[in-house]
Amino acid sequence: MVTHRDSSAGPHAARPAGESARRLGELVATYGLAVVFVLVMAVFGVLRPTTFFSAFNVNTVLVGQSVTAMLALAEMIPLATRQFDLSVGFHLGMAQVLIIGLQVNNGLPWPAAVALILAVALAVGAVNGILVAWFRIDSFIATMGVGTLLYGVSNWYSGGQQITGTNLPTSFTGLTGIYFHIPVPALFVAVMAIVLWLVTERLPVGRSLYVIGASPRAAELTGIRIDRHIIGTFTAAGFLSGLAGIMLGSLLQTGTPSVGPEYLLPAFAAALLGATSIRPGRVNVVGTLLAVLILAFSFSGVQQLGAPFYVQYFFNGGILIVAVGLSVYAAARRRRAATAADTEEASGEARTSAAGRKVDGAIRNLG
Amino acid sequence: MLGRDDRMWENRGSLSREKTRAESGMAERERRHPARAEGRAERNPVGNDPQPVLEVRGLAKRFFGTLALDHVDLSVAHGEVHALIGENGAGKSTLIKILAGIHPADSGEIRLNGALVQPHLHEPPISFVHQDLGLVDELSVGENVALVTGFPRSGGLIDWSRVWSRTREIYAAMDIAAPDPRALVGTLGAAGRALLGIVRGLARPNALVVLDEPTAALPEPDARHLFAVLRTLKANGKSVIYVTHRLNELFGLADRVSVLRDGRLVRSAAIGDVTPSELVQHMLGREVGMAEAPPAAARQSRPLLAVKSLWIGRRGPIAFEVARGEVVALVGLQGAGQEMIGRAVFGACRPDSGEIWLDGAKLAENEGIPERVARGVALLAADRGRESAFPGMSVRENILPSPCVTGEAGWQFVSPARERRDVAKRLERFDVRPRDPGALIDWLSGGNQQKVFVGRWLGSKAQLFIMEEPTAGVDVGAKFAIHGLLRDIAAKGAGVLIVSSDFDEVAALCDRALVVGRGQIVAELHRGDLSVDRLIACSSLGLQQAPAA
Repeated sequence: MVTHRDSSAGPHAARPAGESARRLGELVATYGLAVVFVLVMAVFGVLRPTTFFSAFNVNTVLVGQSVTAMLALAEMIPLATRQFDLSVGFHLGMAQVLIIGLQVNNGLPWPAAVALILAVALAVGAVNGILVAWFRIDSFIATMGVGTLLYGVSNWYSGGQQITGTNLPTSFTGLTGIYFHIPVPALFVAVMAIVLWLVTERLPVGRSLYVIGASPRAAELTGIRIDRHIIGTFTAAGFLSGLAGIMLGSLLQTGTPSVGPEYLLPAFAAALLGATSIRPGRVNVVGTLLAVLILAFSFSGVQQLGAPFYVQYFFNGGILIVAVGLSVYAAARRRRAATAADTEEASGEARTSAAGRKVDGAIRNLG
Repeated sequence: MLGRDDRMWENRGSLSREKTRAESGMAERERRHPARAEGRAERNPVGNDPQPVLEVRGLAKRFFGTLALDHVDLSVAHGEVHALIGENGAGKSTLIKILAGIHPADSGEIRLNGALVQPHLHEPPISFVHQDLGLVDELSVGENVALVTGFPRSGGLIDWSRVWSRTREIYAAMDIAAPDPRALVGTLGAAGRALLGIVRGLARPNALVVLDEPTAALPEPDARHLFAVLRTLKANGKSVIYVTHRLNELFGLADRVSVLRDGRLVRSAAIGDVTPSELVQHMLGREVGMAEAPPAAARQSRPLLAVKSLWIGRRGPIAFEVARGEVVALVGLQGAGQEMIGRAVFGACRPDSGEIWLDGAKLAENEGIPERVARGVALLAADRGRESAFPGMSVRENILPSPCVTGEAGWQFVSPARERRDVAKRLERFDVRPRDPGALIDWLSGGNQQKVFVGRWLGSKAQLFIMEEPTAGVDVGAKFAIHGLLRDIAAKGAGVLIVSSDFDEVAALCDRALVVGRGQIVAELHRGDLSVDRLIACSSLGLQQAPAA
């Protein structure tokens, strides 16, 4: 009995210290990415004071990374429900081929081409969602399959050849231009990010997505229609992928069927790295954008220091592993906290009399 | 030994603390009563068989300072079906787990055919059918059998045709219709799974078989079939330890019956020397006063919930009503099917046939959970971890997880300030500790998590609340508070259906209790007649067999 009391007094006594350590840990977890971002800017700003902060460099990075950012936002939406969309890269490639091809080969005015591509994008996303939600195909497999089909479509449409955008109207190429020092594609990203932020942080439907990601079974038992939500997330991801493809077409002014797949990994890395911060443990808009900026500026800085082009791949691959590693570590830490609470309760239950034991037995029986 | 211990405490995550406590308890007792176990055994020799198959003497086990087994003696003769009965927490499962080597005993000895065995060190030749059948849903029936009996091989490779044929043989040996050995276990119904678990457990040629509540999930005909199998085993000279809650099963099946209460063996007798009511008294440790059930009270003209001739998983029929303002309990032993009734009303499981009426409207069969939630049916799931909690999310989000709960539209803007106020109010009302809406649900103790989940539904606009084990694991103060809130919402015109195995709670809280046995309602107890004793008697015996005062 004596030993028993001693061991139960332990956790209570240790609580205040543990509490403040936990708060500190939470703080670091929440603003970690912001701190890293500031550090990246400071380090390269000091190393390359004249070039790194030049308006040209900043705008180049912002324009170039807006496609990745848009795709990362697209990837983030299904990830909120713990579903993967591996088709976004291929989808981006197809939209990029079509936006140039429809204008050059089919003579469509660009707004019509954009409308057509976005309609296709919604349909492709819905197909992804239906395969996952209704046919219960693992999202990894379903979207990989659909993505490869899309890659086939862009190669079929272009005959595997690059489509050169001749005589593209300036209103189209201007979509990714810079006006009054403001990069237009970054504005698109900002608008989409604000919409997504409102949905995920302020609307019940966004909460539902995270809830489905945390426990599909429990979500179902609160009355959430899981299939509709999943189809919705993939449709939204399709829409944003199409938008990203249109931006890429406007930026490159050519339609190249082999372009696209290489955008998947940075988008993934950014969305997952974003999940380590701001809202630790779940993908979120602000974290995703911060992650894109960190990746972009640190790569740009390293390039200015004279690193060769292939360093990019080390960057993206390494970050993906580090990001997932960090989130796994964070999850394990949470579990430990939870187990400590469980143990405390278990010993508490054992102390109670027959009534408590009956409850305990009931739990065990049901479990 | 360490490996086994590791496995067994994996879920609790308290390996070291647990072990040291158990060990220190053991050492302490040995100091105080060095000769207690042996002395006892000599004074009370058990059984008259010269050499019983199993002989247990002075077995003791302490958990968290509570004696789960208090020097229990047990003797099982050759060709005997030995029933082991007792309430939840009486020590039956602890005894079985020690025999299976899952827990080491603190003291006492176990002899198999006269030889001393230590099950936690060496697996003894005993066949077990545990309550949790341990089947792998994603594998076929044949593979599940082979996991226990071993895969037949030819030339080092698995001989699949023999895997299938042997499965059929094993079923045939027990005269049970075999399912397709290639069918996935996940496709079998509850009864088929229970039969597979039993068949698999009995396939090994051991002289002693232990069945831990094997009939819990079985419909009546399958249970009868199992009894026939057990008689065959017995005729072949095998011995059976049969753990059950259902006393009426024992008569005609068991040869001896042993009753455990609070970790002690309180009675061991030949089945012919005891009566059912005597056994109930031994289980409870007191006289059971039985009164005739009063006639059913007059009902309101239109009940909130009406269930008519409902069949679920080949079990039924079930018919009952819940009026507005009423708190009704569905109680029964584990596996009796009471939770499936609540689930069927909620739309979480589809009944075979029957009608469910809510507030005068018949519910369509193809309606799922979302439609039922929209109609105002709420369900609090008993399995907190898997079916209620959103791990990694905050208390605030766990209280208000979806617009379905709050009755809002998914695209309607929610003011964070209003939500904060709402959540703060509920944390206060349900006494959730800590009162921190930002804390992760994982950080809360099980009881406080339960308060959060109760708060989730009790704040909603539902009209029928189905609460599975509403106060499991919560402290006594909060338990009364939750009971008060449930009575409140009933008084305001809602209907409450409690699905609980906590008979104290049911007796204290409910207007009426429907006792479920094998998927049927076997008894209905009204307020004046609703007591823990009556509930235990009715669920173990069924009202027909329950003795009158």
